[in-house]
This record gives sequence, C-alpha cells and structure tokens, in this order.
Amino acid sequence: MTKEKKLSAYTLESKKINVLDFKKQIRIALLSSFTLDGLDETIKVKCAEINVGCHVFSGGYNQYNEEILNTKSKLYAFSPDICFLILDIRDIFGDLFYSPYNLSVEKRREFIQNKVDELVNLAKSFIEKSNSKFVISNFAIPTYSPYGIFENKTDYGLQEMVFDLNHKLNNAWKSENSVYFYDLNGFVSRFGQNNVFDYRQYFFGDLKISLNHIPFLANDLLGFIKPILGFNKKCIVLDLDNTLWGGIIGEDGFNGIKLSQNDPIGKAFIEFQKYLLSLHERGIILAVNSKNNLEDAIQVIKEHPNMVLREKHFSCLKINWNDKVINLQEIAQELNIGLDSILFMDDDQVNRDYVREALPEVLTIELPNDPSLYALKLTELNDFNVIKITGEDKKRGEMYLQQRRRTEFQKTTINFEEYLKKLNIKIHIKKADEFTIPRISQLILKTNQFNLTTKRYQEEDVIRFSQDEKKIVGCALIEDKFGDYGITGVFIVNKDNPEEWVIDTFLLSCRVIGRGIEEGILDYIINISKKNNVKRLVGNFIPTKKNKPSESFLPNFGFKKENNCWVYSLKNYSKKPSHLLVLGE
Amino acid sequence: MSNRLYSIVSKVMDVPESEIGDQSGPESIKVWDSLNLYMLIEDIEAEFNVKFTMEEILEIKNVGHFKKLLANHGCELNE
Repeated sequence: MTKEKKLSAYTLESKKINVLDFKKQIRIALLSSFTLDGLDETIKVKCAEINVGCHVFSGGYNQYNEEILNTKSKLYAFSPDICFLILDIRDIFGDLFYSPYNLSVEKRREFIQNKVDELVNLAKSFIEKSNSKFVISNFAIPTYSPYGIFENKTDYGLQEMVFDLNHKLNNAWKSENSVYFYDLNGFVSRFGQNNVFDYRQYFFGDLKISLNHIPFLANDLLGFIKPILGFNKKCIVLDLDNTLWGGIIGEDGFNGIKLSQNDPIGKAFIEFQKYLLSLHERGIILAVNSKNNLEDAIQVIKEHPNMVLREKHFSCLKINWNDKVINLQEIAQELNIGLDSILFMDDDQVNRDYVREALPEVLTIELPNDPSLYALKLTELNDFNVIKITGEDKKRGEMYLQQRRRTEFQKTTINFEEYLKKLNIKIHIKKADEFTIPRISQLILKTNQFNLTTKRYQEEDVIRFSQDEKKIVGCALIEDKFGDYGITGVFIVNKDNPEEWVIDTFLLSCRVIGRGIEEGILDYIINISKKNNVKRLVGNFIPTKKNKPSESFLPNFGFKKENNCWVYSLKNYSKKPSHLLVLGE
Repeated sequence: MSNRLYSIVSKVMDVPESEIGDQSGPESIKVWDSLNLYMLIEDIEAEFNVKFTMEEILEIKNVGHFKKLLANHGCELNE
C-alpha cells in the first residue's frame, strides 16, 4: 500500500499555499452527513502538488439537504466545478442500522425505496441548479448483523438492504451524465472497516472516516478531479528489464529472465502485465522506452511463451541505446500526445530522476523496489480516469499501432552533461582481493553488453591473475547521490611488455552504462600506465552478438586502429569526464 | 526537556517549539481546536506507541497533561 503522510502534515502544509499562485484553478464543494475535517486542506495540498489552485467549500455539518435544496445557499453562491456528497450508512439508517428487523420485510423494502427516491431527487435538484459535476458516495456494506450467520438466510436483511440501496442508486446514476458514483464501499473494503471507522473518533467528533484515512480518501477524490481538469494520462511508457520481466535480457538471456508461473518473481511480472493489458483494452496506450538491443528485447516480446503484452499492444517501441528523455520526446511526437499525457514506469531510480528533472510534465511513477507490489501500485493510481469511455478509446491502441508503422524514427541529441554533474558519481577503484574476487568473477562470467573482449574466466583464473605480478586485476565500485551500486566494473591489464600494456578485459554492468563511468575507469588505467612509463596502451574489441554497446568505446576515447588492435599513445592527454570523481586505492 | 512531545505539538499546531511549555493549551495556542487536538492525539499515540482511553483524553487541557499521561504509560519523553 502506498504510504501517506499524516493528516496533520497536510493541514500544516495547506496554510502555506496561496491558491491564486496557480494558473489553473478549480472549485470543489464538499458535503457530508458527518465530520470530514481536514479533507478540504488535504485536497488543497494535493491539487497544489499538480499545480492547481483549489478553492474549497465545505458544507456545514450534516447540512447537505439544506445546501442542495435551497437555491440561495452558500453552495450555489460558491459555484463549484465539482461537488462531492459523502454519506454514511448510519446517518441514513438511523436506529434501523442497529435494529433493522423491527420492521417487516415489506417495510424494509419500502424504506430502501424511499431512501433511493430521496437521494435521486436530491441529486437531480442539484444538477438542475448547477453546471457542476456531482459525485455521490455509495454505502459501506455493514460487516455486522444481529442475525450473525443466519443473516444470509434472512429475506432482505441488513446487508442485503445496503446492497440493494447501492445497486438501485448505481442504476439511477447510469443515465445521468453529470452524476458520478464514488465507491466508498470499495474504499472501506480496501482499507478495512476496522481501520477506517474508529469508534473513539466517532464518539468524540462524529468522525466516520478516521483522521489517518482522510489523505487516502482525498486520493480517491482526486481521481474525479483530475479528469475534470483534463489531467488524465493517456499513455503508459514502460521500461523492459525488471519492469515488464525480471532480470536483464542482455545479461540473463531469453531463457534466464524471470517470467514464469513457476517462479514467484516471474508471476509478479505476469500479474503486472495483465493489469497493463486491462488498461490497454480500455484505451490506455502502451509504449516501451528501454535501453536494450532491439533484437534481444523484441524476441522476448514476440516469442516468450509467458509474455502477456505483445508487439501489437504497444503503440510505440523505443528499444535502443538512446537517451531515455529523447525517446520519451519522440514517443510523444509520434503518438501526437502531450508529454503531460504520459505516465512513465521504470525500475531504475536514476532513470526516473533524470526523466523527472528533464521532463517534469511526464508523470514519473515511483515504482516499488519489490515487483510483488507493481500490480498494486498500478491499481492505486488515480490518473487514468476519464469522464467517458468511448468505443474509440478502446480502439486507440490499434490506431497508434498503425501510426507507429507509418512513422520513421527520428533521432536528435540532447546535452546530458548537466544531469550527470548533479549525480555526483564516484568511482572507487579496488584491486582484486578475497573480498572482491567472487563478484569480479561473476561479472566476468555474465556481462554481455559492455564487454570489450567477453573472455570468460573462472574464479580460479581470477585468483591466479590477481597474484601474477605481470597483471593488474581491478574492479570499480560505483556510487552516486542515490546510493551504492557495488562493484559494477572490472578490468584486467597485461604488463608482459613494459612499454606496451594490453587491456585483456574491460567490462561494465549494464546498470551503469552511459554515464561516463567507463571513461573514468579507462582514464585510471591510463594514469597508472603513465606512472609506470608505459608508452602505449593496447585494447581489443572482440564483437559478439550482444556487445554492440561497447563497440565504439575505444575509438571514441581516442584509441587508433593499428592492425587488429586499438592503440592509445600515452603521450596524449587523457580526458576523464569532468563530472566524475575517480578514487584509487 | 520534553523534546519529542514538544516537537509533535509544534508540528501539529504550527507553533515554534521554543514557545511551547507545559501550560500551552487552547489559551496560548489559538489553533488548538478539536480537529488539531485529535490530530495531536493521533500523532502522539503513533510516536509513543500508546493508546489513550476516552477518559484520559477528556482530561487533556494542555501539553502538561500529555506529559503526565505519557509518564503514566511509561513513556520516555527525552530523546
């Protein structure tokens, strides 16, 4: 469950908000049959968070009938854009809540029908007098019945009465375009009746939704406010590795990624994909933005037996080594939607933060660390609501799919440097020792993408090399302002020829590619070589199916081709990226 | 010093911690209304992992009363 701040944090924050500071404004009326103090402040804060100035009118305690029926009431003078009416079953039922069986079955049915008529008339009265949308809550089904287990053998018992009330009201609203139903019963069941309803607060202040649940209630109500503002998201852009499947396709391979019903982690990703598919089927566009070899990733999407989402479900696929921000801009352009209609999901904190900073219009979701929570996270979002769902909506994905096939991909470049500087990347170079060797061998055995030679040495080899005076075996521990990546880079240098050292192995985990770290490590090797009066540093690139990302690394750094090798003259001034701090031992 | 308690009162009531004492209550803190008092109770209960009874709550007229109640519950007020 997404964490929420305490209500006191919202009431405090709301004092600092000047509603008129925002370009966009909304007027919200809150009516209730009980105390909902703090809800107005919380909604104000949550609106400010999406850059909307929110004016709130709170009706007097249990004054909703008067407010709605009286044309001259403060409610209409306030002139809301949206009006919420939140009702509690106790207030509607009165003593009947405790003793429903004092009435005969017929009288109980009559009672419910009267309540339905009352509420329908109330809503009609409101929409006749106002252009505002009207949202009325349904009722939490009581979990207690004086009849106990016999309740469901009882004709039109307490629970059935409330079911029927909800059902009849729901039907009544179906044909009323400006009236919406808020599923308060769903809210209570999501959080639990014993949590939402706090007897002590009820006795003290007639609170029927406890203070700590007010911020969650506000989230739900924002689900109505956002589409009215036109803030609903149309498109979910997804990363692939560790977002749609477990693991990294470039490293773990087609058969190694986690996407199986036999594996709990794989199940979590399948479940997540099923929820994404359900959103696609109702008209939310899906797109991919992933740093990967296109062939590897497409193979999974097309052929993996447990993929739920296939190529046809994605309106745009950006699977490449380009900047994720550029990819997002291109997705928006190709789909012809605003960046502010896009919701971005990526498991990587650095990517998320980079996108958030470069494209604040895009809603970048904090994905939980644990994929078991991905599906829940998705279902908790209140950003996909629309006032209406049309047949066109449902076909939208298909339309974009066709558009995708028409459009040619376009590439531009952007300056990434500013962001990198802010990351405060530190590279700690360490020699191979008993603590680092297990991880070094692991990386040597499994790294595919950024790996110049892809020489697979066993742990025993690495131990032997580390004791060899003619070799340097080192690793790089990377950290940035968000935390520690651990050992993610490895290099082995042969010193057989004192004038010409050879880079035998140079690899970097794909988690940290593209941040200049590779250059920082190479610069470190160059500096050591210089100190040892080496004249030339020699590198090799041995192409494999998967190491394309490292193909141009040596020439880009300034290595020159000689025979079949890449050679760097150590007379040259080395160029370590300025945003990095490289620390040797 | 009752740092933990004063700091919560300060946050909920939006009053500088330095102005809070045991006598602080509805007279000295203007925003000390029932909603703020309930929120204060919630936050104090969460911070100290206690639950006050209704009778205890009815006794609360100022910050000093919270102190007394917390002491009765065996809570350590100092950080």
